[in-house]
Amino acid sequence: MKRACAYVTLFLSALAGIPPAHAVTLTLQIRDARGAAVEDAVVYLMSNQTHRMPVKNATLRIDQVDKTFVPLVSVAQTGTRVSFPNKDNIRHHVYSFSSAKKFEIKLYADTPSQPVLFDKPGVVVMGCNIHDNMVAHLLLVDTPFFAKSDRQGNARIDGLPPGDYSLIAWYYMRPDKDAGVIPLSLKTDTTRTLTIRTRNPE
Amino acid sequence: MKFRPFKTLQGRIFGFFFGLLLITQLGSILITSTIGYSIMGRMLGDELRSGKQVFMRLFEQNTAFLGQGARILAADYGFREAVGSNDADTIVSALDNHSARIKADLMLFIGRDGEVYQSAEKSGKTIDISGLRWLDPTQPPRDTLALIERIDGQLYQLIAVPVTAPLPIGIVVAGFRIDATTAQDIGNITHTEVSFISHGTRSDWQINASTLPAPLAATLGQALNTNQIGEKTIVELQTQQGRYLGLRASLPSPDGQAAGVVLQKSLDRSLEPFYDLRNKLLILGAIGLILSALSSLAIARGISRPIKALAGFATKIAQGDYGEKPVIASTTEIAELTEAFDHMSREIASRETHILQLAYSDTLTGLPNRTMFHDRLQQAINMTGRVGKPLTVMLMDLDHFKYVNDSLGHHIGDLLLKEVASRLQHTLQRGSDTVARLGGDEFAILLPTADIPNARKVARALLSALEAPMTLDGQIIDVRGSIGMASSPQHGSDITALLRCADVAMYQAKRNSSGFAEYDAHYDHNTLERLSLMSELREAVEHNHLVLYYQPKVDLKTSLTYSVEALVRWVHPQRGLVPPDSFIPFAEQTGYIKAITNWVLNEGVKQCAAWKRDGIDVNISINISARDLMNADLPVYFAALLQEYGCPPERICLEITESAILDDPAHAMENLRRLEAIGCKLSIDDYGTGYSSLAYLKRLPVGELKIDRSFVMNMMNDPNDVIIVRSTIDLAHNLGLRVVAEGVENEAILNQLCKLGCDQAQGYLFSKAVSADDFTAWISTQLWRDQVKVACRV
Repeated sequence: MKRACAYVTLFLSALAGIPPAHAVTLTLQIRDARGAAVEDAVVYLMSNQTHRMPVKNATLRIDQVDKTFVPLVSVAQTGTRVSFPNKDNIRHHVYSFSSAKKFEIKLYADTPSQPVLFDKPGVVVMGCNIHDNMVAHLLLVDTPFFAKSDRQGNARIDGLPPGDYSLIAWYYMRPDKDAGVIPLSLKTDTTRTLTIRTRNPE
Repeated sequence: MKFRPFKTLQGRIFGFFFGLLLITQLGSILITSTIGYSIMGRMLGDELRSGKQVFMRLFEQNTAFLGQGARILAADYGFREAVGSNDADTIVSALDNHSARIKADLMLFIGRDGEVYQSAEKSGKTIDISGLRWLDPTQPPRDTLALIERIDGQLYQLIAVPVTAPLPIGIVVAGFRIDATTAQDIGNITHTEVSFISHGTRSDWQINASTLPAPLAATLGQALNTNQIGEKTIVELQTQQGRYLGLRASLPSPDGQAAGVVLQKSLDRSLEPFYDLRNKLLILGAIGLILSALSSLAIARGISRPIKALAGFATKIAQGDYGEKPVIASTTEIAELTEAFDHMSREIASRETHILQLAYSDTLTGLPNRTMFHDRLQQAINMTGRVGKPLTVMLMDLDHFKYVNDSLGHHIGDLLLKEVASRLQHTLQRGSDTVARLGGDEFAILLPTADIPNARKVARALLSALEAPMTLDGQIIDVRGSIGMASSPQHGSDITALLRCADVAMYQAKRNSSGFAEYDAHYDHNTLERLSLMSELREAVEHNHLVLYYQPKVDLKTSLTYSVEALVRWVHPQRGLVPPDSFIPFAEQTGYIKAITNWVLNEGVKQCAAWKRDGIDVNISINISARDLMNADLPVYFAALLQEYGCPPERICLEITESAILDDPAHAMENLRRLEAIGCKLSIDDYGTGYSSLAYLKRLPVGELKIDRSFVMNMMNDPNDVIIVRSTIDLAHNLGLRVVAEGVENEAILNQLCKLGCDQAQGYLFSKAVSADDFTAWISTQLWRDQVKVACRV
């Protein structure tokens, strides 16, 4: 995955100097270049410890409702198993040719018997071979500290051990690029505003 | 004559119809051609526009179809799987397979990273796609992208569709070569010539595929490179193969390049039916023109020929040739016109004949008139002038015709003239002789080949023909004529001279009572003398060279009373005393007698009045000529004279010769009555020389009769004259008339007259005519008293 140099403007509203022994929470306000709230933006924190940490939530679900993957964007720790329950009364044929995980679940109804294990980090774009318009984005990260912004652009990562992290943002519209990488030293609960690029330069 | 075709009816009719048809034919051909051309042009334009629409539609459908094919590959799961797994061999084989399936000439896949997988070219050639810069694999088209691209001089329709999994992972491009077959296929649908054109970055237009033959394509190429073919407007292109209308359509092409199609239609080929129609119209028009020319010529000739014939007929009529009407087979109108002309001609002919008759003949007798006689005479003169033979002209006058006319009526007069005419005509033997009535009782005879001796015979024959008594309306009438003859070339060589000579001769004949007379230059000498006499006579009246002499008339019964006869004398300044016989007849002929009579009356009345004042009681007799008797003014004039000089009217006695009365008895009688009413006395002079009967004289208001001297003077020698004188005196006395004897020259005669009971005597025995003074002297001598006493033994 290419990590192109992208500039990130990071505004730190406050920094605490005392390292606490308890876990801290990072709250992010994600805005685009025009200051609008960005939904479905993925943020995760990486440190030299994180890739060794165990998978926190071993399973994830991506539904197919009304010929749409729900949710559109998902984020999971590498090693997570994802199930694809079909809520429609038609069949779907979920597939992925992404290098992070190639798979297909041929024509099925209801929930397939076996969830799919995503054991490599990276982006997996899934579609339905029957319905060309169906698309789902799943980012697999080697860290248990990740979050996805809600409709208001808020993302919150809890239970963070204080320490130094790299804050990485990713947006599905720019799947091959990180939205930004920011070194971050967390001591206390922190709330920050993060501005990311949501489009490719014209 | 100048040839002016449109001055003739024929030319105009022909010109009008022919010209009209020519104009309409030319007009219709022109309009047909023009409209045909413009309709065809517009139709072609419409066809090209609809062709363009068809083409565009076709092109879109084709693109959609091809795009569909490409999209099927792009959506194929296996293909996408191969792409997803970077399985190059599988990718290429899938491309091969699919290109064969959709009959693409070229198919390739460009991966997101720029790697290219290409199907095998049909021709085995590898297509260089390095030019296809518009295909950015990192930004694949959302949907189908179709462009026309020129590759290696060949035109391809390239259709690019994205490959998604489900996000775009590359582009599938399907390429279809556009070649002549493509153009032909499209052309078959659009019914136009189809040329695919393109230019690269340098705007060098090329024709890549076309249905046009090579030379036309070359022309089109030149036109394209000079920007002559627009997209909106139809452009006409002149080529060696004819005119083409063209319309350009642009096709999608990569930036900086251009591609398009030119649809063309041959104007000439489209116009062929119109040219065909025009040619047929031309042929029809030519046939129509020829037919109309022939028929209008025929019609025009049909109208003009009869008119020409009628014009010729009319010209003949104008020249006096009333021939048969021309035979014209023609329309009713012309036939009616011809009939009318013919009728007119016949009417003119008959009227002309009638007019000629009126102009050249005498309506009463049917003889030629003066005009015709002059014509014939002129002709005869011309003839004799040429051959040198003599001709003779006669003039004849009836003696005392007026007397017949007045006493027996005009009806008898007319019958007499007719009878005379008929006798004259029958007497003339030769057809060439002409007898004409010149007017009144004057006839003229032309003997075109007779000399005088021959003419004499004819004249005698004519006169003897008249001698036989005529019975007209129960009345027996004797008539006599006097003929004067003149002959050409002896007496003259023109009409005027001949007629004048004949006239002179006729008067001579009348004077001599000789029946006929030939012209004699001597008469003419007299005539000349008379002419000078005329002017001298006028001078004499004006200058009082005339004098009145008086000859006494002695009363034989009483021997006491006397009267005088006034006699005019001319005392000529050179010639001395001119006797009355020398100028009175002449004056009577010329009419100058009127002036003389007036003068005499004036002098006589004046003298009478003078003598009365002097105590001399004498009656004066004054001679009145025949012409004076015709003068209605005479009584008025005479009455005025009496008034002026205070002379009693009974003192004047007017003497009239009996012939004067016989010439025109009606007028004479009228004037005599008026003179009698004035109160004067009237006397018949020269009794016995005329043909009047005493019974006739009885009706006249006269109181005196004078016996002509010829009887009186001869009484001693001829007992017959004594008988005449005696019977005259007896009869006159029975009628209550006084008798005067003239020419008493000796006592024997006087004695005889006394015995016979004559009332008065006049003559040299008593006195010749003397002047007024001498007469008063004669009275004083009283000599006549003794003479009468002795002779009559009173």
